[in-house]
Amino acid sequence: MNIQCKDRERIFWDGTAEEWAALEQHAAMCAVCAEEIRAWKQLSAAAAELRDPQESPALWSRIEASLREQQNAAANRGKFSRYFDYWTRAAHVWQLALAGAMVVALAVSGAYLYTHRAPQTMDASNKLLKSHALAEVERTEREYMSAIDKLAVDAAPQLNADTPLMASYREKLVVLDGAIAELRAQAGENPSNAHLRYQLLAMYQEKQQTLQDILETKR
Amino acid sequence: MGSVGFTLPWEHRISGAAPVRERRVEPSESRAETERLTADSSVDASVAAACLSGNLQGYEQLYRWQGSRMKNLARNLLGSPTDAEDAVQETFLKIQRSIASFRGQSSFVTWTFRILVNTCHDLRRSRVRRKDHASEDVESLQPANVPRARVSHPSLRMALERALEGLTSHQREVFLLYEVEGFRHAEIAGMLEISETASKNTLFQAKKNLRALLEPPRSAGAGSAQ
Repeated sequence: MNIQCKDRERIFWDGTAEEWAALEQHAAMCAVCAEEIRAWKQLSAAAAELRDPQESPALWSRIEASLREQQNAAANRGKFSRYFDYWTRAAHVWQLALAGAMVVALAVSGAYLYTHRAPQTMDASNKLLKSHALAEVERTEREYMSAIDKLAVDAAPQLNADTPLMASYREKLVVLDGAIAELRAQAGENPSNAHLRYQLLAMYQEKQQTLQDILETKR
Repeated sequence: MGSVGFTLPWEHRISGAAPVRERRVEPSESRAETERLTADSSVDASVAAACLSGNLQGYEQLYRWQGSRMKNLARNLLGSPTDAEDAVQETFLKIQRSIASFRGQSSFVTWTFRILVNTCHDLRRSRVRRKDHASEDVESLQPANVPRARVSHPSLRMALERALEGLTSHQREVFLLYEVEGFRHAEIAGMLEISETASKNTLFQAKKNLRALLEPPRSAGAGSAQ
């Protein structure tokens, strides 16, 4: 094996036995490598000075006492946690049985809830009632409008009279029609808004009452 | 940091040191080494089994087998024999607490030393926090000059200890585990959760840095010849 000075550090790092032998052979003829090898090996030899053969006679007794204390403390903790550890240490088959029982219990509970869905039926009913109430309101509005149309036809002769009272009624009806038109537009955008619906019904009532008052003047 | 006060050439300082451990320089494993590893693995398995059973004798076996190596590593990482004993004790407690999580993916010794190295990190960090809290000088964090066992070259040991402080903590760990405690790169890789190649790289850099820290300045031409 041909070894040169440039191979020295690589062999120091991780040379094989053969490479070391070849380096030693090379060092026999190379003073620099011989010095480097000697210094490298002597560093290892010097490391032996860091071995301290001094005995510590009491150290094992100390360690043993602390190990025993820790062991006893763990045993005491074990007494308290034994109950909680029971399931974790239980045989695998028991854990499976417990899991199976829980699945069965969940299935039975689910079935019971499915077959006794009274609250859900009530909810659906509430929803129908809500729609039903809206239909009822709309029906009432239509009845008001129909009644108002009939009253308006009856009251038309008096309303067209050129008197200050009728002029006042006409102005009031124009205002009411304007309000009704605006509320109907808003209620069209949001039909379920109860507040709008109440206001609209109030306007219809007011217009109906006004027309009835006009007809009363005829008498 | 470095070899302040040590002006002798590197070779002179360590010329009388312990015999060179050729086996660690040359990576191939001899038959004796292979037999040692096989024996170690059977002991490792029996100690692990004893500890897993919760028997304190298992921990005692571990202590008798690896205790002095553990204490030595902790001493070199923490710089104080008292801290080292605390680290070893804490390591044993951690092993007992987490023995159930040992799956045998590495050897029991590798696992043990991984816990020890992490414990030393924690102790070092808590010591830094304590010192910071007390607003003491950072210099006081350096390893204490405490009496140690009689060694053949106290000045060399001191020089090495000072030089080791000049390495990164990672380089220091790899150097101590490989060169002082005699672990193989595969074992170090398991302990520090790095690759074997990274362990080799780190050791190489650590030794280069140590040489630079320990040696007096040399002539410009030396070492550059091909």
